[in-house]
Amino acid sequence: MGLLIKCTFLTSCLFVWSLTLVKCTVYPPQVRGNGAINAHSPALDSESPALQARSLGYFYSLSLSSTFPDDLEVKEHCIEMLHIFGQRYVAYANCLVSYARPVKICQNCHTSFNSLVEMYTNISSDQLGPGNVSCHDTLMRSDRLMLLYTLFSKLNEIWTIAGCKRMSSENQDTLSNDTLYFMTSLNLSLTCFEKFQGNHSELCKDCKLSYKSLNELYGKMEENQTLCIDIEDSMNMTRRLWSKTFGCSFPREEIVPVIAVSCFMLFLPIIFYLSSFLHSEQKKRKLIHPNRAKSSSSLMNIQDKFS
Amino acid sequence: MANIAKKVSWSGRGDDRGERTPLLNGAEEVKYNNRQFSGGSIFHIGRLSTVDLEEEITPEESLDYDNSENQLFLEEERRMSHMGFGCLEIKRWVICGLIGFLTGLIACCIDIVVENLAGFKAILNVVRLSLTRLPDIEKFTEVGGLSISLILWAVLNSAFVMVGAIIVAFIEPVAAGSGIPQIKCYLNGVKVPRVVRLKTLVVKVFGVIFSVAGGLAVGKEGPMIHSGAVVAAGVSQGRSTSLKKDFKMFEYFRRDTEKRDFVSAGAAAGVSAAFGAPVGGVLFSLEEGASFWNQMLTWRIFFASMISSFTLNFFLSIYHKKPGELSSPGLINFGRFDSDIVEYNLYEIPLFIIMGALGGLLGALFNVLNYWLTIFRIRYVHRPCLQVMEAMLVAAVTATVSFAMIYFSNDCQPLGPDHNEEYPLQLFCSDGEYNSMATAFFNTPERSVRSLFHNPPGTYNPLTLGVFTLVYFFLAVWTYGLAVSAGVFIPSLLIGAAWGRLFGILLSFIASSQSIWADPGKYALIGAAAQLGGIVRMTLSLTVIMVEATGNVTYGFPIMLVLMTAKIVGDYFAEGLYDVHIKLQSVPFLHWEAPHTSHWLTAREVMSSPVTCFNQVDKVGTIVDVLSDTSTNHNGFPVVVHSPGSDEPGKLCGLILRSQLIVLLKHKVFVERASSRLTQRKLQLKDFRDAYPRFPPIQSIHVSQDERECMMDLTEFMNPTPYTVPQETSLPRVFKLFRALGLRHLVVIDGDNMVVGLVSRKDLARYHLGKHGLEELHLAQT
Repeated sequence: MGLLIKCTFLTSCLFVWSLTLVKCTVYPPQVRGNGAINAHSPALDSESPALQARSLGYFYSLSLSSTFPDDLEVKEHCIEMLHIFGQRYVAYANCLVSYARPVKICQNCHTSFNSLVEMYTNISSDQLGPGNVSCHDTLMRSDRLMLLYTLFSKLNEIWTIAGCKRMSSENQDTLSNDTLYFMTSLNLSLTCFEKFQGNHSELCKDCKLSYKSLNELYGKMEENQTLCIDIEDSMNMTRRLWSKTFGCSFPREEIVPVIAVSCFMLFLPIIFYLSSFLHSEQKKRKLIHPNRAKSSSSLMNIQDKFS
Repeated sequence: MANIAKKVSWSGRGDDRGERTPLLNGAEEVKYNNRQFSGGSIFHIGRLSTVDLEEEITPEESLDYDNSENQLFLEEERRMSHMGFGCLEIKRWVICGLIGFLTGLIACCIDIVVENLAGFKAILNVVRLSLTRLPDIEKFTEVGGLSISLILWAVLNSAFVMVGAIIVAFIEPVAAGSGIPQIKCYLNGVKVPRVVRLKTLVVKVFGVIFSVAGGLAVGKEGPMIHSGAVVAAGVSQGRSTSLKKDFKMFEYFRRDTEKRDFVSAGAAAGVSAAFGAPVGGVLFSLEEGASFWNQMLTWRIFFASMISSFTLNFFLSIYHKKPGELSSPGLINFGRFDSDIVEYNLYEIPLFIIMGALGGLLGALFNVLNYWLTIFRIRYVHRPCLQVMEAMLVAAVTATVSFAMIYFSNDCQPLGPDHNEEYPLQLFCSDGEYNSMATAFFNTPERSVRSLFHNPPGTYNPLTLGVFTLVYFFLAVWTYGLAVSAGVFIPSLLIGAAWGRLFGILLSFIASSQSIWADPGKYALIGAAAQLGGIVRMTLSLTVIMVEATGNVTYGFPIMLVLMTAKIVGDYFAEGLYDVHIKLQSVPFLHWEAPHTSHWLTAREVMSSPVTCFNQVDKVGTIVDVLSDTSTNHNGFPVVVHSPGSDEPGKLCGLILRSQLIVLLKHKVFVERASSRLTQRKLQLKDFRDAYPRFPPIQSIHVSQDERECMMDLTEFMNPTPYTVPQETSLPRVFKLFRALGLRHLVVIDGDNMVVGLVSRKDLARYHLGKHGLEELHLAQT
């Protein structure tokens, strides 16, 4: 690989060098996606002024849709594919937006996503279509923008982050059994909530069973990693309803015993320190005394210095 | 008078005023004269009730870093070939590699065990607390579920801490605390007894495991430095006196000079393993310890550091089942700061400096509180059983306080998708949320620090952070100095990170429109650095450690600024925590410089006098008597030649150490024996090394009555060229000699080369610069 890059680099260097050698005017080289320089360019030194004029003309006067030479033009067949891709793309994006809140994209958009993927795979495959041309290079790797790829990868990323793949069954067409079961369970809870709308204390008592089983199911799915954004979102909403709106969470309990035990614990060290202060004998520290010169001359010296 | 010198005693009662007596004051001349004749005891009349002057004095020893160039040494050097010295050099490298390897291994063991124990405990608690969430909560409440889990938690913690405290208090008290003060002393040249023994290492490692598992506000990083030092001391000697096993290796290194080099390498390896900061480790050794530095030694120490970091990394990668993936270089992992999110701007620098000042203030407060507490502990909580009880109580209270804070916290955060909180606890939060206070307390402190650094803005409630900082601050103050082996690094980092993050959150409230630059994680890092710097007052090494531990060089400058500010502000109020503890242990610690205003003090005033001297050929009886005199317990003895018939002190011709004399007595190297039995083996330097470092006490050597009459020739064994100074040398000059050469004794002579006095480390360490000029301390015995 490294060798290849080196070779490419060397050839391009040679090419540039030869360009400068023949004192050619700067000609915009056609660069392909893989970085190799298009070698079969028109003859350089004879036609260069004319060529320059023509390339300038592209930028200033003519529209970009003007015709290229045959071999560079996109095939009919590919245009067709591009068109279909665009339609499916719009459909899918539309679906995503319309089910954004509350999130239901996995349930409702998987068909359009699947068709989009199918189209994209068609385009990106190296299969030769009619006319012996693969659309892969023409559509996807001709320019540095690589629009199709970017567009698709963004949407695909959304799908992956949402975890929608985990929700559908093996063949990607229908929802998995777990998901369906969860939906049923969720509906059960929500109906129950609906029933006791007015009376919160009743609701907390009567819907507890269904809510609890829903919670357990969710926990199990979390462990199995079969969650997707739809389920997570609906569970979040339900929990918020349960805890915040209906106030069915547990109240702070046992304030008195907890405070009592805490106070008892906090008093222990005070007792400990007091008792050790009062009852333990103080540790004596022994000082080490300097054993200094006893001649009085040194003393006189110090006194002289500071008097 | 510019220099008002005072005497201050460290062991005084709360008011030192009564004992402060001016040392040099014209009006006190009478007293001063008195002192000359009564050996200083007149100064302590007020103290006689508490100080027993008659008791035996066995002070901590100094280390001999000065090589004794006696004849034996010269002979050995002559015998050694060029190859021999090359071999020694290679051996040094091997030893450094071994030190690094073993230190890394120990760090790895501690890490794995602590992680598992903490995980086990937290799971237990979560299970217990989550019991209350079962449908039959009514039934559970009747028996008091929550208070039972509180009690269980407290008891469990106390039990862990009890084990940790018992092994420390009853088996090896010197293993208490972080061990950094002790290592500082060792590298400074003071031999704290038993500090580098294998037993200490074992107690230290287990003590750390139990105290961290016991939920105390401690870290496992500080003890790593001590462990590294012990490993170094053990490996470099090639034997263990605790195990009574001699591997007959590395015998050349059995002396203080060599051992100290290796101990500094070990300390560096410890830092490196603890923080994943090899360069920081080297600089730590440089900053805190060794005074002799050369390029080769530094390079070797760096080698040990790197090996240690690598070993830890390697074994942890195996433990995490990703062998070869070397991405966890230290015990603590601050995580990577994403450089484009957390850039800092020029206008933030004043804010950082403010935070540094705040850190200095808080650090000083920490040290002052801990100082008072330690004095109380030294005085009243000195019996081992009391110490164990105290540690257990601290553990219980820590658990209780944590529980209460979790219980009363209203800070509920939604569960993240990737569950970066390891033990989310719901308690009274609504479903799908967790109690963030519980996470802060249940996590190991390291993990909490990391989440304070890296969790996205909005993860923490300002109120939670504030209360947490306050509570944890006092818990940490209370915990440091207990009879458990544990460090102060992580608690300080945690406190700092908490208030730093709070600072960042408040900033983004103020600058609400442009809140992007006030990323709280960044301020948590700065706060952590400030708090740690304010407490331990390390500068260079701490900067590098923080930079290395975060893997972010961008923050080098702010961290340096913050640490500088913290040190300046903190030093104004109180000393660093380690210095406070060194002082409280009454260790004759020599700082880098002599006190500023001490040039007027000369060697004559500082030295001890009269000096016990020996003659070149002295009677065994005299030597034994001097050595067994418990009231003096001198360690170095000048060897003199008396001019015949005069009464004056003799001319200096050498210096001999107690340890040497003891070896001589043990081998009975007497003149009479040498002349009578020619076959006797000549004593070699090896015999001295074999006895190192635990020379037998003089009492254990039996000398018969006949032998007392024999003579001993010291010429061959004494150091013939000891360092000497004339009487007029100033204190700073003497100090420099001690500090730079690692001297233990300095002989003071007069113009005729007569011995006048002897300066030892203790004579110098007495003087320090206090608030009122030069003060003289009384070193007490612990």
